[in-house]
Amino acid sequence: MARLRIGILSAAHVHAPAYLALLARMEDVALAGVWDEDPVLARERAHAVGTVAAATPAGLLAESDAIVIAGVNRDHRALAEQAAAAGVHVLCEKPLATSAADARAIIDACRRAGVLLMTAFPSPWNSVVEALISAVREGQVGEVVSLEGVNTGEMPDVHGAWFVDPALAGGGAVTDHVVHLADLYRRIVRSEVVEVYAVANRILQEGFDRVETGGLVALRFRNGVFATIDCSWSKPRSWPTWGGLSIEVLGTGGAIAADAFRQRLDLWGRREDGASWRSFGSDANAAMLRAFVDAVRTGGEPPVTGEDGLRAVEIVEAAYRSIATGAPVRLDPPG
Amino acid sequence: MSGERVGVVGGGFMGGTHAAAWAALGVPVTIFAEDAADAAGVAARTGAATAGSLEALIAGATIVDICTPTDTHAPIALAAAAARRHVICEKPLALSAADGEAIVAACAAAGVRLFVAHVLRYFPEVAEAKRIVDEGAIGDPAVIRLKRAAFRPRKPAGHWLFDPARSGGMVLDLMIHDLDFARWIAGDVVSVQCRSAANERPELGVEHALAILRHASGAISHVTGSWAYAEPAFRTSIEIAGSRGIVAYDSEEARPISSWLHAAPASGQGAVGIQKSLTREDPFRDELADFLGAIREGREARVSAADGLAALRIGLAAVEAARTGRVVDPAEVA
Repeated sequence: MARLRIGILSAAHVHAPAYLALLARMEDVALAGVWDEDPVLARERAHAVGTVAAATPAGLLAESDAIVIAGVNRDHRALAEQAAAAGVHVLCEKPLATSAADARAIIDACRRAGVLLMTAFPSPWNSVVEALISAVREGQVGEVVSLEGVNTGEMPDVHGAWFVDPALAGGGAVTDHVVHLADLYRRIVRSEVVEVYAVANRILQEGFDRVETGGLVALRFRNGVFATIDCSWSKPRSWPTWGGLSIEVLGTGGAIAADAFRQRLDLWGRREDGASWRSFGSDANAAMLRAFVDAVRTGGEPPVTGEDGLRAVEIVEAAYRSIATGAPVRLDPPG
Repeated sequence: MSGERVGVVGGGFMGGTHAAAWAALGVPVTIFAEDAADAAGVAARTGAATAGSLEALIAGATIVDICTPTDTHAPIALAAAAARRHVICEKPLALSAADGEAIVAACAAAGVRLFVAHVLRYFPEVAEAKRIVDEGAIGDPAVIRLKRAAFRPRKPAGHWLFDPARSGGMVLDLMIHDLDFARWIAGDVVSVQCRSAANERPELGVEHALAILRHASGAISHVTGSWAYAEPAFRTSIEIAGSRGIVAYDSEEARPISSWLHAAPASGQGAVGIQKSLTREDPFRDELADFLGAIREGREARVSAADGLAALRIGLAAVEAARTGRVVDPAEVA
């Protein structure tokens, strides 16, 4: 079986090195190279895993069967359209785009070109989340009534200044964190979001006010389930890890709470370092990349589609409209 | 010692708890309950005297401590104020903002003190969280998460607690604790959004609600109230994230004693779940001691009448928001 040639198209995202390292270890994958508008970064990322830096996106696409887009959020559309035009399959970092219009354009471009499009939401492969979804499917909580989720973390400027630049990221904490839980909720509830209410502020992370750092989002699903998401960058620099993701599902049979990153060791070293948490949970990124490669090989529907990415972006867009107006915003997605 | 004498109205869980606390504080206490057997039971347990009527109770007391179902708060408080007795009223102060304001106005006109028993402010983890915020340790409060997840009170169908016309429902009875706590931390609330299972899916008989508050300070709060967890859950959590740090507490993580016993004792929860702390201090006793001290010394207590009224307005706004799907300003509720 020929190895699937996969390139990384823009490496600005914090996940790019992890994706490269994981792809490099997959026996049926050959790294095609790395392109980034910063050639120094491209070389650094490429050399770390023994692949090449490409001079242009076109050059990389010519050598790739599939690519992972790990650029700044604003560039997802242009890069995905280029890849689709070159007949290359796409795994696109989340959020799929900075607007629903861009997300739809990506979906259309890939469909027209007949290439596979998957949105890079790793959380469905988090093994704690999988266990939660199984428990709900088995009916352990009875009929689902309500979901409460927290996906909070440090301010991500430590992973790249663009994360907190609204022109490049598309927004702040709401853009950064809402999509993960919005997508997981759709998988748990198996219904679509028809109403979004959100509030936000810029109090957290003293001295920074370019984008919202705190946010709370309330969702209502077509089947009557209601839910909330805390997406705040509320963890200070002294927090023992980057942040976390947890979901509590409440139903007629009681409640189940899942902490996706609770599989950890508590580590104390030098006094000045404080405590840190080291995860021993299964690598969700590895399973997500495996699923992408398998979908490309079999030509099947990827487990996280472009439409899934679009639905999450629509929810983010509605959240910003709600923040601006102070009122709930209605959505009417198909399904 | 000034000669305060307390008349407790109501012989349920809270009446019994308050009577015991007054007795522990050495304050003479008399109890009256609609059901004389309830009053006699509390009297036997606490050493309280009993009164034959509400009028007799009020006549013999200097402080009237109202521990009755919420729909009776207003008439009893107004009667006590008319007799120029200080009033301590269980939360929520009343079932409507109009009634709450009438109680506040009557007490002010009579020149008597009014305290609303938001006992949560006297729980040690809550008081410590407030101190931490006041010390400036986390900077300006920004995003607050408060949770109170209990089992459905083990009361018969038709009990007043389950009748929204008498208790205001779970939101006004239980969630109001954290609505007051959020306001204590981050100041006045300017809008409330809320979804509740009772409104979204009334056929399921589940009492569970999520509310989002906006404060005038710009802070935002997420509050969970629930009677939908399995017994004996009484889970509470606090997370206050600020401009410079975060303070957090979760009753599930903060268990000072764990046990794995072959012969497990009962959970210790009564018919209505309550928050428990393994501290020598008793929040109910500390609360009443603060109110008593405020009366004796003419000072403010940790919870003012205005706080009780503001919490009621936020609670009513949450009820209205859950009913209508609108975002409600607490100032506009009737």
